[in-house]
Amino acid sequence: MTNYILRRLFGMVVVIFLVLTIAFIIVRLAPGDPAALMLGPVATVEDAQELRARLGLDRPIPVQYATFVLNAVQGDLGTSIFFNQPVTDVLVRRAEPTIFLSVFSLLIALIIATPIGIYAAYRRGSFLDQSAISLAMLAASIPSFWTGLMFQRYLATELGWFPASGYGGPDATFFERMGYLVLPSIVLGIVNSALILRFTRASMLDILGEDYIRTARSKGMSERRVVLRHALKNAAIPIITVVGLTFALLVSGAVVTERVFNIPGMGNLVVSAVLRRDYPVIQGTLIVVASLYVIINLLTDLLYLVVDKRVKY
Amino acid sequence: MAFAFSRRSSLAVALLATTAFAVPAHAQTSIDVAIVGEADTFDPMISTKDVVSVVTQHFVETLYTFDENWNVAPLLATGLPTISDDGLTYTIGIRQGITFHDGSSMDSADVVASLNRWLEVATRGRGVADTVASVDATGDYEVTITMNEPYSPLLSLLAFSNSAAVVYPEEIIGETIDEVIGTGPYRIAEHVPDQYLQLVRFDGYVSRDEPSSGAAGARMQVADEIRFLPVPDPNTRVEGLLSGQFHFAESLPAESFARISDSDAAEPLLLRPFGWPIFAINHKAGLLTDLPLRQALQAALPIDDMLFAAFGDDNFFVVDGPMYPEGWSWRNDAGTELYNQNDQAAAGALLEAAGYDGTPLRILTSRQFDFHFKMAEVAKLALEAAGFTVQMDVVDWATLGQRRNDPALWDIYITHSPFLPEPALTSLYAASSRLGWSNPEKDAILASFTTETDTARRQELFADLQEQVFEDVGFIKIGGFNALSGIAAGVEGVAPTPWPFFWNASAE
Repeated sequence: MTNYILRRLFGMVVVIFLVLTIAFIIVRLAPGDPAALMLGPVATVEDAQELRARLGLDRPIPVQYATFVLNAVQGDLGTSIFFNQPVTDVLVRRAEPTIFLSVFSLLIALIIATPIGIYAAYRRGSFLDQSAISLAMLAASIPSFWTGLMFQRYLATELGWFPASGYGGPDATFFERMGYLVLPSIVLGIVNSALILRFTRASMLDILGEDYIRTARSKGMSERRVVLRHALKNAAIPIITVVGLTFALLVSGAVVTERVFNIPGMGNLVVSAVLRRDYPVIQGTLIVVASLYVIINLLTDLLYLVVDKRVKY
Repeated sequence: MAFAFSRRSSLAVALLATTAFAVPAHAQTSIDVAIVGEADTFDPMISTKDVVSVVTQHFVETLYTFDENWNVAPLLATGLPTISDDGLTYTIGIRQGITFHDGSSMDSADVVASLNRWLEVATRGRGVADTVASVDATGDYEVTITMNEPYSPLLSLLAFSNSAAVVYPEEIIGETIDEVIGTGPYRIAEHVPDQYLQLVRFDGYVSRDEPSSGAAGARMQVADEIRFLPVPDPNTRVEGLLSGQFHFAESLPAESFARISDSDAAEPLLLRPFGWPIFAINHKAGLLTDLPLRQALQAALPIDDMLFAAFGDDNFFVVDGPMYPEGWSWRNDAGTELYNQNDQAAAGALLEAAGYDGTPLRILTSRQFDFHFKMAEVAKLALEAAGFTVQMDVVDWATLGQRRNDPALWDIYITHSPFLPEPALTSLYAASSRLGWSNPEKDAILASFTTETDTARRQELFADLQEQVFEDVGFIKIGGFNALSGIAAGVEGVAPTPWPFFWNASAE
């Protein structure tokens, strides 16, 4: 077990180093000059060259890479070109809304998907089952930006039930900031419930067809106990896998929703950073996201041990 | 109540319940302004971005500014300068009793240090640095600028908020400025990048006494706070305005005009005219170094169709050739018979006579400004009808910003600008710009224009310069366009301008 974790941690370091390298190469291959962008439309070529020199962007690429790697292994992801602040500070500040948005979205998705998925499997072929499958397809098919825009227009602007966008001003309390996440959480929750619902249903269908379920029923066990204690427990592993991946996707990929609702999270940050060619921020975000994927994968695998005693590493 | 309920309920209900607390708890005297993006620097000397001008003019100030008629008016200066008869010496009185946000007092040493930095690091300052012999303190509250040669746009440059000659305390002057300290009516309280910039009233501010006029005159400090909120998505700015979240939202899409008009929550603020789209032409390299080809390009463009495709509604554009719109003193008709010819046959004849070999005409544009791309699409069809081979290079704005610096990579790039109060502030006319537009006649006119001090004579020279724009096809003005902003119901004191300011704004 300990060996397994150590092996995984070593693999994690390798993955992150590869991501770090690829991130560095990709952002340098992309055309676009952060200095020209910063200086604005009237700036001359000479202005941009001077700023590039000041930012160290005129140094040879291998020198820039070596500096980047040496600093990164010491936990220094560099300084944001645009914010003139350490990338780690920028990322930490952006992590809060994204993490809460992801957690809320995931909870909403689970609250919607799990009971419906279980019941749809239990009543396979019924009207509810058919409806659940259709709704899941619908939820997965409608782009989140459209749902977001509609929700924003009708629930925020017309009805005034939610703030339309943002993450609170200078005097906003933590609780108020969370209020700004409700509408985007519902949007993302609905979109992500589709996948979880289908996985839950499929996994439960497999298990409900097993011999030991029939045995449990023949022994007179209540249906509630059969479904929730026997079947669900054994159907949990695929569900945990998809929940883990969904969470990782939410943290790294809520780009569109964060953009529509103007939430200053990691997704919004990375889009802005790409448009601004803020190389250190792009690199830093990619490293954090890659680390997150690896960590969530590891935690998901370890969670298997808890729900299924037969799993051994 | 809602919170107590939520603790006993499921998380989903708890999340919904939080919305009762989610309405922003603003003080009554704050003005929330949705802007197009983050101002990535608060040092306006080093940036020519409009968003930087809009934000920073609230906390840093210049010696001069513009009134509502775009006349230069004093701000930190006591009055307009005394200019020697030969136009070489500007003696500027500095207001006494002005305090910086750090509590120190402003005197001529601060102004001299700031102007010297401006001449060294600011794009617009560097552009004029060769004509400035020295900037000296000639008294505790007097500064003298000595010129090598007369330069009539100097005061406009000193008044402009873009790449601005702002005054900082001498102590913080350096190549970069870590913490911006100004004299403005508001000071920075807190900045959370990409979330908000909170400005609070500067209690030590000493306003001018004259009535407010444009950015000149009294700055009233009506609101306790002004908050700038970067909201890059235009639809999100509209929804935020209509939901009551913002008091002002800039750069809104034309399609939202009717919705805002119909709303009780806000009203549209149309800045008519705002500016002009431009086809910038490469005079340094490539196809368009050849005059007949430039003339063919100018002849072929269907300006009406391009503007209609770009803006969709004639409330938002005007087909207008002169470089300045109606009502501006710089307006004249010289050369405008060559505007909007929409004559592909004539363009084809010019191409044939020039022996055009089908080399692609490269149009560099971006979808970041959708109207640029739409204009380019329509232009492409007309140019192809005339016989040009057209290559559209559609890139993001960052790439365009880089590529246009290399003359080998483009023939036309598309940009736009607000109408600027002084023609010489438009860099396109200068041979040193990235367009590299130069011919002896134009260069001589421009030199006379920038050294002439008589206003009437300057207007005549500008007419000559405009004629050159059309005859030599220096660049192509694609009409004029209006900008839409939105202002919440009950907000007063915001004047329409390309660089809106809020020190006189109040909200109910």
